[in-house]
Amino acid sequence: MIVILKTTVPLGLVVGLLAGLCLGRPVLDPVAAVRALLDPADPAHVLLVEGRLPRAVLAVGAGGALGVAGLLLQDVLRNPIAGPELLGVSSGAAVVTAAVVVLGLAVPVVLLPYAALAGALVAGALVVLTMGRTRSPDHVALIGAAVSAACGGLVVAVVGLGTQGNVVVLFRYLLGSLAARGWTHVEAVAPWLLVGLVAAALLARRVETLTLGDEVAAGLGVAVTRTRVLAVVVAAVLAAAVASVCGPVAFVALLAPHLARRLARTVATRRVLVAVVPVGAALLLCADQVARLVIYPVEVPVGVATTLVGVPALVLALRSRA
Amino acid sequence: MRAALRRPAGLSALGAVALLAGAVIVLAHLLTGRSSIPSAEVVAALLGRASEPAYTVVVLDHRLPRVLVGLAAGALLAVAGVLVQAVVRNPLAEPSTTGVGAGAALAVVATLVLAPDLGQGGAYVASLVGALATGAVLWAVGRRSFAVTGVLLGAVLAAVTSLLLVVDSAPLGTVLRWLVGSLNARTPTDWALLWPWLALLPVAWALASRLNAWSLGEAAAVGLGLRPGPLLAVVLLVAVACAAAAVAAAGAVAFVGLVAPHIGRLLVGADHRVLVPVAAALGALLLSLADLVAFSVSVQVPGLATDVSGVPVGAVTALIGAPVLVSLVRREQRA
Repeated sequence: MIVILKTTVPLGLVVGLLAGLCLGRPVLDPVAAVRALLDPADPAHVLLVEGRLPRAVLAVGAGGALGVAGLLLQDVLRNPIAGPELLGVSSGAAVVTAAVVVLGLAVPVVLLPYAALAGALVAGALVVLTMGRTRSPDHVALIGAAVSAACGGLVVAVVGLGTQGNVVVLFRYLLGSLAARGWTHVEAVAPWLLVGLVAAALLARRVETLTLGDEVAAGLGVAVTRTRVLAVVVAAVLAAAVASVCGPVAFVALLAPHLARRLARTVATRRVLVAVVPVGAALLLCADQVARLVIYPVEVPVGVATTLVGVPALVLALRSRA
Repeated sequence: MRAALRRPAGLSALGAVALLAGAVIVLAHLLTGRSSIPSAEVVAALLGRASEPAYTVVVLDHRLPRVLVGLAAGALLAVAGVLVQAVVRNPLAEPSTTGVGAGAALAVVATLVLAPDLGQGGAYVASLVGALATGAVLWAVGRRSFAVTGVLLGAVLAAVTSLLLVVDSAPLGTVLRWLVGSLNARTPTDWALLWPWLALLPVAWALASRLNAWSLGEAAAVGLGLRPGPLLAVVLLVAVACAAAAVAAAGAVAFVGLVAPHIGRLLVGADHRVLVPVAAALGALLLSLADLVAFSVSVQVPGLATDVSGVPVGAVTALIGAPVLVSLVRREQRA
């Protein structure tokens, strides 16, 4: 399993990147793609530089960030099924984005992450506070599902105001999509992702101590509550930034840490953190290729692809863990 | 108060209050709407003696089916909630968080997209098949942890539903409202297709004393002579059928199946012999009340030309239900 994972992750990244650059219309062979990428005079240059490359870069960045968000949440809440999609964080961001899209508020794409973040933090805080000290995955799943359902109700109430065209756009967004994303989107989320990743790296040692238990961590001098709150906020920042441009891409954040723990052969947060970035990136990049190509030229929202692939994998991961 | 309510006199008082509340809600439903009809004419229309045929159509073909479907679907959802919570022994479970609602929704959307000419009857059959199939999968895969498996299963089914809608986005507007649950534009056909399912309510009531035994724990239940396998299968089957009928009629309304049993327990305690009918009545009242709120509230949103009205009832139940759920969890943690 570990050997398979170790070869699959770099392979997935390379194959995903190549497929992302070469496949589509027109199909280019890898050599031609690289040449077109480097040569501004090439007819395919603009397509690659403005179309396929930013999309692949966004997939890599978003996937890595989601993986880190999932890892932080799982370790800090000591719950194997904690993830932004089950903690309401994604749906909180969705509500705000829905309101912006449907009500036609003039929010520039650069500011959208701030708005989405506010929604994500409110919903995430609601779930985490409700959860209290419970460790039961059942409990968490049900609370998260309930808050997500409430957010879903809000979204539909908001969508009810919109016109049919808006509804279709929004529906696409609500499933998570990487279609037609350009450098503006990458630029909008890049600072958020960088800040989030650095913060996660700085928090990692304390989070790792926290996985030993609250009492032990407190005995070792870690401020338990502050660390937990900080980690949840950082995870929400990462998830909300991704959700603001790609929509709530489900199950990457939940699944990537489980795979990364296998890969790193440890549950120690700091070492898993290093592994989870490429794992998450490879997952989302490959899922996006599937979403783009499976019923070409119709695009499947990438969130659908990640859910259909991610859930069975997650069930397997949880089962073999138990 | 709870003890007093459990005595026969208390129970009949509770029943009287429920009937009164039901009558008020039904009247409010019949009297309000887009077109204003004098109350005397509404009564006359009910008796078949309205002065204008349009009144008869509005009252008998639009308003009456809507409130009846709301009452019946609410009762079915609440009973499904009681049964699911009893089986899982987790008070936070409800039909829509265990994937069954999503399964029914997927099947209905599939028939809407792939075979639109099957009509409403087709939607009922599809909803039932989808819900039963989901229930069977849940039974086969997730017996160790119904809740996590149910939520994950629900996510997968919702993704497949979305996939269908991506391939054919024409029915998106209607389907999206329907996925949340809406009682807008119910017709007499809806009521005709729904009411036979109310026969499930006495079946659920008949299971009540076995549910009481089961809630003592598996060992105690076996000691009392129950065979857990067949019992759970039957209870789950009834719960799934209740949920499926409600979903086919009103869409995947959230939280009624969660909140009604809880309010019922607060009022009369956890004895299922009393809880099942009380929860059914509460569910009926809650859903039709939420529907009344949903269609009579209209909000002005700055920047929009028209008022916001005709919100689907599922949005209202979700907004009311979430805070209730949060407070329930907190209470339980303190206990």
